[in-house]
Amino acid sequence: MKQRIQAKDLINVGIFTAIMFVVCMGVAMLGYIPIFIPLLSVLVPLVGGIPFMLFLTKVKKFGMVTIMSILIGILIGLMGMGVWVIVIAPVSGILADFIFKSGGYASAKKSILGYGVFSIWVIGNFIPIVVTRDNYFDMLISGYGREYAETLMRYIPDWSLIPLLAACFISGLLGAILGRALLKKHFERAGIV
Amino acid sequence: MKSTSKSSKTVLDPRTKMLLAVTIASVLIGGGSGGIMNIIRPALVLVPLLLFCISGKWKSAAIYAAAYLCAFAGELFLVPVTTGFMNFMIVACCGMFARFMPGIAMGSYLVNTTTVSEFMAAMERMHLPQKLSIPLSVMFRFFPTVGEEYGAIGDAMRMRGIRFGGGKPGKMLEYRMVPLMVSCVKIGEELSASALTRGLGAPIHRTNICKIGIRPYDLAAMLLCVVSIIFLLIDKFSVI
Repeated sequence: MKQRIQAKDLINVGIFTAIMFVVCMGVAMLGYIPIFIPLLSVLVPLVGGIPFMLFLTKVKKFGMVTIMSILIGILIGLMGMGVWVIVIAPVSGILADFIFKSGGYASAKKSILGYGVFSIWVIGNFIPIVVTRDNYFDMLISGYGREYAETLMRYIPDWSLIPLLAACFISGLLGAILGRALLKKHFERAGIV
Repeated sequence: MKSTSKSSKTVLDPRTKMLLAVTIASVLIGGGSGGIMNIIRPALVLVPLLLFCISGKWKSAAIYAAAYLCAFAGELFLVPVTTGFMNFMIVACCGMFARFMPGIAMGSYLVNTTTVSEFMAAMERMHLPQKLSIPLSVMFRFFPTVGEEYGAIGDAMRMRGIRFGGGKPGKMLEYRMVPLMVSCVKIGEELSASALTRGLGAPIHRTNICKIGIRPYDLAAMLLCVVSIIFLLIDKFSVI
C-alpha cells in the first residue's frame, strides 16, 4: 500500500514539530545548572515521548517522521548546538521511520523501539563537547565564565559519549512507554486518537 | 505568525529576516569574543532593536533594550567583584541571557512581522520542496499558539488551586502536557481544514499575491550577515 504524503500530513508534522520543539526547549532550560546538562540526555527523550506517541497515532505514511527529525535538527542546530545535530537528527529519524514502517505504524513494540532510535538525535548536542573539546571550552569561558566551563567539562569526560548514547536510547524507550500509558489513560478516552 | 498583515510597511524580505535570525543566533551563541568580534557582536545586537523601532514596535524595543542592558551590566560590573557560587550563578544567568536574547528577539520579529503567505512565497522563491515548506510554515504559525494555550492552561489550573501539581512534580507533567496536547491537536485539525479549503496541497501550482523581493535594505542586511559569518568561521577555526 503505497500512499503519498498529503498536505494534511504535512500540517500534522508541522504542529507536532512545534510542540516537540517547545517541550524540548522547556526541558533544556535546566541546562543553566551544569549538572543537568548530562541529565538532559535522559529528560529530553523522556518528556518528548508524550507528544511523539500522540504524533505516531497520526502517522501512517513513510517520511513524516523523517521530515520531523530534519526540522528538529535544523532548529536545535540554529539554537547554537552546532552542526552535528543537523546531521545526526535526520539519520536517526530515517532509521526510526524504517522501524515504524516495518511495524505498519501500528505495532506497539516497534513504536517503542522506534522512538528509542529517534531519541538518539539528542546525542548530537553532546558531540561538540567531546570531539572539539578545546574549541568548545574556549567558547564556554568567553560566554559563561571559567567556573561554569570547568564544572561542565568535569561532568562530561571523553568516555561519557557512549553512556550518554545509551542513556538517550533507554530513556527514549521509557519515554515511549510513558507516552503510551498517558495515551491510553487520557487521549483514547477523550476521543483524540 | 499572523494570517493577514495589518500594515504593509514590512521593510525586509522574509528571506533576509531568516538569514538575520540564523546569523544572530549562530554568531552570538556560538562565537567567541575578543578581536574583531568586539565590533560584530554589538552590531548584531543592535539589529533587532533597529528593526523593532522601524516597524513601530516601541514596547518590544524598550523591553529588549532594558533586558539586554541589565544582562550586559551584570556581566560587566558584578562578575569581577563576586566569587564562588554567586559568581557562578551571575555568570550563568547574565551570560546566557546576553547570548540568547538577541536571537530570540530576532526570531520573534520574524514571526510577528511576516504573514504566512509571505513566508510561503519566500519559501517558493528559494525552491524549497513543499514537503519542508508546509511543515515549516505551520510550525512558525503554531509557536505563538502553543505559548497562548500553555498560558491559558496555567490560568485554569491556578483557578482550581492546582500549583506545581499539588506538590507532586511527576503529576505536574501530566497536568500540563495532556491538556496542552489535546487543545493543540484540536486547533491543528481546524487549521488543516481551513488550509485545505484554501487549496493548500492542491496538485496545481499555487499563485501568491504577496510582493516580496530583494531591495537595497535587504542587500545591506545580507552583507552584514555574510561578513559576520565569515569572521565567525575565521574566529572558530583560527585561520589567521
